[in-house]
Amino acid sequence: MTRLHRRQALRLIAGATGATLATPAIIRAQTPSELKIGGMLPLSGPAAIEGHQVLKGLEFAVKEANAAGGALDREIVLMVEDDEANTTRGVIAVRKLIETDKVPFIVGTYASAVVIATMQITKEYGVPLLSGGSTSVAATDANEPGNPWFFRSWPSSVDQGLDTANAITGRFGAKTVAIIHDSGSYGYSLGDQVEQVVKDNGGEILSRDTYNAGEQDFTTLLTRIRSEKPDAVYIGGWAGDGAMIVRQATEVGLRTQFVGSGSMVSDDFIELAGPASEGFAVATLYEPSTPNVYGAEFGKRFEAEVGQAAGTLNSLGFDSTSIGIEAVRRTGGTDSKAVRDMIATGLADFPIVQGPEGATAAFDAKGSVDFPNFIAVIKDGVRTLA
Amino acid sequence: MKHLALFAAAIALLALAPVVLGGHGLSVMTLTLTNLVLAVGLNLVAGYCGQFSFAQAAFFGIGAYTTAIMSRDLGTGVWINLPAGIIIAGLFGLVLGVPALRVKGHFLAIVTIAFQTVVYLTLVQWTDFTGGQNGILVPGVGETSILGIIRFNVQSLDSYYWLTLALAAVAIVVAWRLVHSRLGREWIAVRDDETLAQAVGVNTTTTKLSAFVASAAFAGAAGALNAYTMRTAAPDDFTIFISSIILAIMILGGKGTFLGPIVGAFILTIIPESLGEFSRYKMLFFGVLLILTITFLPGGIMQLVRNARTRRA
Amino acid sequence: MDLFLQYLANGIVVGSSYVLVAVGLTLIFGILGIVNFAHGEFYMLGGFAGIGLATVLGLPLIVSLLGVVAFAALLGFLAEQILNRQVKDKDPTNSIVSSFGLAVVLQNAALLVIGPQPMLLRTDLSMVPVEIGPVYLPLQRALIPVAMIVLVGALHLLLRYTWVGMSLRAMAQQPTVARMCGIRVSRVAIVTFMTGAVFAGVAGFLMSSVFMVHPLIGNMIVLKAFTVVILGGMGSVTGAAAAGLMLGIVESMTSAYLGNGLRDIVGFLMVVIVLLAWPQGIFGRKLERS
Repeated sequence: MTRLHRRQALRLIAGATGATLATPAIIRAQTPSELKIGGMLPLSGPAAIEGHQVLKGLEFAVKEANAAGGALDREIVLMVEDDEANTTRGVIAVRKLIETDKVPFIVGTYASAVVIATMQITKEYGVPLLSGGSTSVAATDANEPGNPWFFRSWPSSVDQGLDTANAITGRFGAKTVAIIHDSGSYGYSLGDQVEQVVKDNGGEILSRDTYNAGEQDFTTLLTRIRSEKPDAVYIGGWAGDGAMIVRQATEVGLRTQFVGSGSMVSDDFIELAGPASEGFAVATLYEPSTPNVYGAEFGKRFEAEVGQAAGTLNSLGFDSTSIGIEAVRRTGGTDSKAVRDMIATGLADFPIVQGPEGATAAFDAKGSVDFPNFIAVIKDGVRTLA
Repeated sequence: MKHLALFAAAIALLALAPVVLGGHGLSVMTLTLTNLVLAVGLNLVAGYCGQFSFAQAAFFGIGAYTTAIMSRDLGTGVWINLPAGIIIAGLFGLVLGVPALRVKGHFLAIVTIAFQTVVYLTLVQWTDFTGGQNGILVPGVGETSILGIIRFNVQSLDSYYWLTLALAAVAIVVAWRLVHSRLGREWIAVRDDETLAQAVGVNTTTTKLSAFVASAAFAGAAGALNAYTMRTAAPDDFTIFISSIILAIMILGGKGTFLGPIVGAFILTIIPESLGEFSRYKMLFFGVLLILTITFLPGGIMQLVRNARTRRA
Repeated sequence: MDLFLQYLANGIVVGSSYVLVAVGLTLIFGILGIVNFAHGEFYMLGGFAGIGLATVLGLPLIVSLLGVVAFAALLGFLAEQILNRQVKDKDPTNSIVSSFGLAVVLQNAALLVIGPQPMLLRTDLSMVPVEIGPVYLPLQRALIPVAMIVLVGALHLLLRYTWVGMSLRAMAQQPTVARMCGIRVSRVAIVTFMTGAVFAGVAGFLMSSVFMVHPLIGNMIVLKAFTVVILGGMGSVTGAAAAGLMLGIVESMTSAYLGNGLRDIVGFLMVVIVLLAWPQGIFGRKLERS
């Protein structure tokens, strides 16, 4: 590795000083013994926690694939780039993966803004991009229908909001709802949608408030909501903020059904919110107790290997990577355009660990796989599927 | 004449970069040239006029969003968006310049930070207009021409690089002319001794405002073009950390010197990109470098160069 | 009315934490003329040190508090060496840049060593209720204004009646004369930085049981502290105390009656108005702003 970096550095310096004619470009392409695949995730910056969880899924998928003989008789090597949840970094990262490492597909990334920026570049190069956690409907909507280059093997944030809102009025029987969400696009779009669906289902929205991500004190807001006596409170935003809201709600004596956005599905949320998280409900794509048999087996293997219970972020990283590897195997080559065609149409029988029993990588025209979210409720510090 | 020849040779050599560099290297070079324009612009207000600013990324963002919003709503092309980005960023520079007439030093630093924060929050929160956190997609430059005479097609990474190089070359020439004009000498006069400058008849109000406008206009140009290169304008590229990186480039190179920000841009963009597996130490490296430079080499690299020259002389 | 009093109490709790951070910031500015962007990192590291001592080593809270004080004092000492000793007599904006660099270094060092995971100090105090009339607060929250009053009161007495305090004030008003009168300037600078860091570190520790601690938390805190310092008048300790409480209360009332989304904007608007209308701050004395 060190040598490679020195070479890269030399090449850069050569370019900068113009000492260009002496050495031809050294491009380290695929070698016959190994098959490089691309991973791009936020490993530092604001989404680093999530990025590292998704990465565990990627690494586990590669490990299992290599144990099963790799692909094309080669050992699979995962090349990971850190995009810092920043679009400029993301654009540079995909160019590096494609031009230097010649990867046939890229799994990435978590932040939807970065996906939207980079998917144009990967499309120009003709390399498929498989989501590394991005759930925003804006990402799949940026695909040309019928000609997707970005693939997400789980439903969008819109479907998640719909399933969650239906659970609020249906399963939890709430008539009056208070909505709190952060001021980012994710929070806003979920807030809009929950408001709409609850109203359509005959419920009433008592209040709707926004907060800036990272805000610390919610006591006054929650005191006011307590005086409104809602049947349920919906929270849309990052896990850390959600945990603070739930904790402080106990402190101000606001006791009601709390329902959160899909981002709060992690165990970190339960850890941070402590006992206050009891009864909290959240939409989830994967739980180790899933009725999906293929998924439940994945959960056992993952826990044995990695030493932690598999969660949504691990499972989606695993699925995206496995889909890419399977597409390479079935195409029988590393031509990225052929791999893309295989992902788009040829994997409808390939099982995925997320979603209900029998879920497969059957992508629709916009590059999404649709199945209903599970609604999990936290009981004794563990998310349980009802 | 010697300067001009050297400059032309350097640009010509840089224009050959796509021959040797792959996509990643070329992306880094494009980023380097963008940072160069930003730092050269910041140097006008902070280096020559002595008005500290933490807001260069805000103007960079204003330029980028000008391109993105005008492409989206008006369908205008690069030759309208680029001047528009320069003008609109310049106008915002005027807005920031007004409080700078009242406050100095520390207080000015805080005002510029406040301005940077307001711009960033607006980009994030005014979702209908700015696309919120996801930003706005920008179409490529595509086929275009200069005055209908020279036609070319900007599509490949190479062509975006050359376009950025052209902007950097123009920016350097404009900065050179500004600094060596009467206005440039007035900036320096205000920086060195405002009272004295006033006494000898310099209109310090217009002098300071012009420095802010010029500095912002450079950033606006860089932003308007960068939106095309990146194919997107998203708020996280315009945070106070980007401002601080531009500031660090200027300081490391040597503020108030002409070559300083240019040298700094190459060093502080290329080295962090070459850290490879050590890239997680990038910000740590950056912070330490900032402290060390300010502490032991407040004049930056150009101070070293100057010291070496005087010793030889 | 009951709700109003509860909102007021919430505002005072949060405002008290602003005061504790802002006092150190304003002290360092008033006496040494240094804008310390790394001040939020003192708060962050104070919180992490406290959690480490109390949770990982299992020390009693009061011992942990003393540990945090010692740790923060050491931090302040080191920061003085970097931010004051070295760049002192050059361009005033140099200290801004180097303190910004220090903030970046401390944040990223914390990220690398501790990781991005947020943490909370778990105590038994959160379930102990304190009721004052219609107002209800968990004990850990009720303790924050008490601690603020004790600490700021002690600082006030120190500044007013002790030899150290008089040296500090002399430095703030007339550094040259102070130097001629035999005040050891370098020692004053160290004491100032250590005091400021201890206040921020203790605030970080106290708040770590209420709010999350993570490596980037300093960014948010330092922004609030700057708001307070500008409102209170840069360099004024009593101004910072009054402005900190005021900001906490205004934020709470905004959230209660105007909508939570506006709370940060209201604080910001106050700063803009104050900077334009009373550049010396609402509670500040008139001084040359340069």
